[in-house]
Amino acid sequence: MVKTKKLFFSVCWPFLLISSFLSINIHAFSALSREKITIKDSLNRQVEVRVPAQRIICLQPELLRILVALGEGERVLAVDRFPVRYDHLAKIIFPEVSKLPVVSVTGEDANLEKIMELNPDLVLVSPSELNLTQNLSRKLNCPVISLSSSGRIDRLLEEIEILARLTGKEQRGEELKNFLVAGLESLKQKLNRPGLKKPRVYLSFWGSLLRSPVNYQPVELAGGLNLTSQIKPIHQGSDTAVLKLETLLSWNPDLILVHGLYPPEERKITVQQLLTDPGLQYLKAVQEKKVFYTFGFWYWWDPALVLVECYYLAWLFHPEEMSGVDLMVEGEKSFKKFYGQEGLFKALCDRIKAHEWFKK
Amino acid sequence: MNGLKNNKRQKYILLAAWVLPSILLFLSLGVGTYKISWAEVFNTIRSALRANQNLNLSPAAANIIINVRLPRILLALLAGSAFAVSGSVLQSLFRNPLVNEYVLGVSFGAGFGAAASLVLFSRQFPPQVAAFLFGLLAVFLVMTISEGARNSMMAVLLTGIVVSAFFQSLLSGVEFMASPYALQALFFWLLGSFSQVTWPDLLWTGPMVLLGLFLLIRMKWRINVLSLSDDEARALGVNVKKERFLVIALTTLITSAVVSVSGIIGWVGLIVPHAVRGLVGADNRLVIPVSAGLGASLMLLADDLIRAFSPYEFPVGIITNLVGIPFFLYLIKRSKKSWG
Repeated sequence: MVKTKKLFFSVCWPFLLISSFLSINIHAFSALSREKITIKDSLNRQVEVRVPAQRIICLQPELLRILVALGEGERVLAVDRFPVRYDHLAKIIFPEVSKLPVVSVTGEDANLEKIMELNPDLVLVSPSELNLTQNLSRKLNCPVISLSSSGRIDRLLEEIEILARLTGKEQRGEELKNFLVAGLESLKQKLNRPGLKKPRVYLSFWGSLLRSPVNYQPVELAGGLNLTSQIKPIHQGSDTAVLKLETLLSWNPDLILVHGLYPPEERKITVQQLLTDPGLQYLKAVQEKKVFYTFGFWYWWDPALVLVECYYLAWLFHPEEMSGVDLMVEGEKSFKKFYGQEGLFKALCDRIKAHEWFKK
Repeated sequence: MNGLKNNKRQKYILLAAWVLPSILLFLSLGVGTYKISWAEVFNTIRSALRANQNLNLSPAAANIIINVRLPRILLALLAGSAFAVSGSVLQSLFRNPLVNEYVLGVSFGAGFGAAASLVLFSRQFPPQVAAFLFGLLAVFLVMTISEGARNSMMAVLLTGIVVSAFFQSLLSGVEFMASPYALQALFFWLLGSFSQVTWPDLLWTGPMVLLGLFLLIRMKWRINVLSLSDDEARALGVNVKKERFLVIALTTLITSAVVSVSGIIGWVGLIVPHAVRGLVGADNRLVIPVSAGLGASLMLLADDLIRAFSPYEFPVGIITNLVGIPFFLYLIKRSKKSWG
């Protein structure tokens, strides 16, 4: 009996030790077995990542949307507060976001201990939050990548490609990129009339008449001219210029576009306000009532909205060329392609009361 | 003989301090990004004064002068006067040269009011009104809490620091809770600028500031007396408690009214009174009116610099700090001997 016991322990102990060692390191082994790639992010940092990333913390709403569009929403372990509390669109395309833990607040630091507890293998942040990027990179034992398109389509396509590589969804990424490129090419063909006059457009974004983006590619792609692109941003790397009212008055734009991607009750600047502002009555755009809402972007941009925005702006700038285009149909097509469901664009339009924008 | 000369010099300084803002007002109407000739500026003013209705005016230029530049210039003048007068009065009252117009908690009280309006109530309650009311509330708290203390002036100063810190914490809390959308609007407000002012803003701020300034300038002799010890002031027939409360209420009124429209702009209330005392001495009968004129001029010049040279809307508070701090250091250096 004693001999049997001794034999049992002499066989079992090494077995137990080996199996426990293996179970502890299985995660590390699986990570090590994955391919390592180097990504250059929006802050021009070279970051090494093992792909496909399995456990992602996403603190940038635009990247969350791309992950959802790539079909990888379930790999997201935690998010920042914005999509959970303020982002009316995130809840439409990805209702699960409400159940995810919130580990940071825009403009503030993140909850490091909570992030560590979730044991991510990739953290995605916005380059506008430089401190957060630096802090997380120093303290976390996993790659931190900072990405944003900032109103530029080339950067958005690059972002889709990077996230597709990071999640191993290259084929789906290529599909989404091709859809965007083909849609833009089709728009280019529609506007390909010699002598088409480019309207001079002023963009009033981010809750102020005088804050305007220096880059907003949909304006150019829709055959317009963004007046703010001629001046420098408030600081290097920013997309924002803060104008003087007299600069706007001296530009005298043909059209004014007001950032409208909010529910009406949250809009700080409204079309009606601008049309009735006594100081703006001598502007051509106000006199001709060419002040409209536009979707616009924040430090995030919705990839499915990009194409719709280009079509919508082209419809405003060149109604004749775009007379056969149904914006609701185009919107639904784009949202279905990205997020795989019918009725999402309509739901967004209901939420921000955008149906009225498309009426002549 | 020297006294007479001094009197004459002081009169000239007073005259210059009051004429300078009027000259600057006219010159500032010609400063801006939009190209407007001096003839157009002059004709617009004549037309506005109904001197000549048949002038051939460009409506766009007239609109810029009347609706964009003029309210902004007037607010800059009012703000400069209000901050400088508040600073000089409070420095005398507290017998402390380091006191400024925000010592009683107006700035953070108003900042919290504006933040609460922009973030929590989505502007349903106008930020200007909220800023004004919370500015007053902060000072009311300071006066109520410090009432009855043995060293009442010291108690007011210390309570001012504590109440400011309390409202600063509330402001930070609101900032933390704010959505990024509201935060942008709040930052713009907190940085301090005259760019957003409209005629309706000016119409409700202007009368309060003018009334407050008028009364404080009228009270200049009594403020001299209040700067003495309480016993001396009483011996001269002044009801110290009542008068002090009135002076604080008036400085609070003018500072809150301006801050509610312009946001927080610092340093004017500290620099100007010191510069003025260097010119005319410590007599409040001259310090207060001269501070009003010089404060207005300084603030308008700072705003003119932005309108003339900066391609962007730049917070005027940064200019007042950049100009004011070296100037203040220069004053300290120059007065070293007498301070020693």
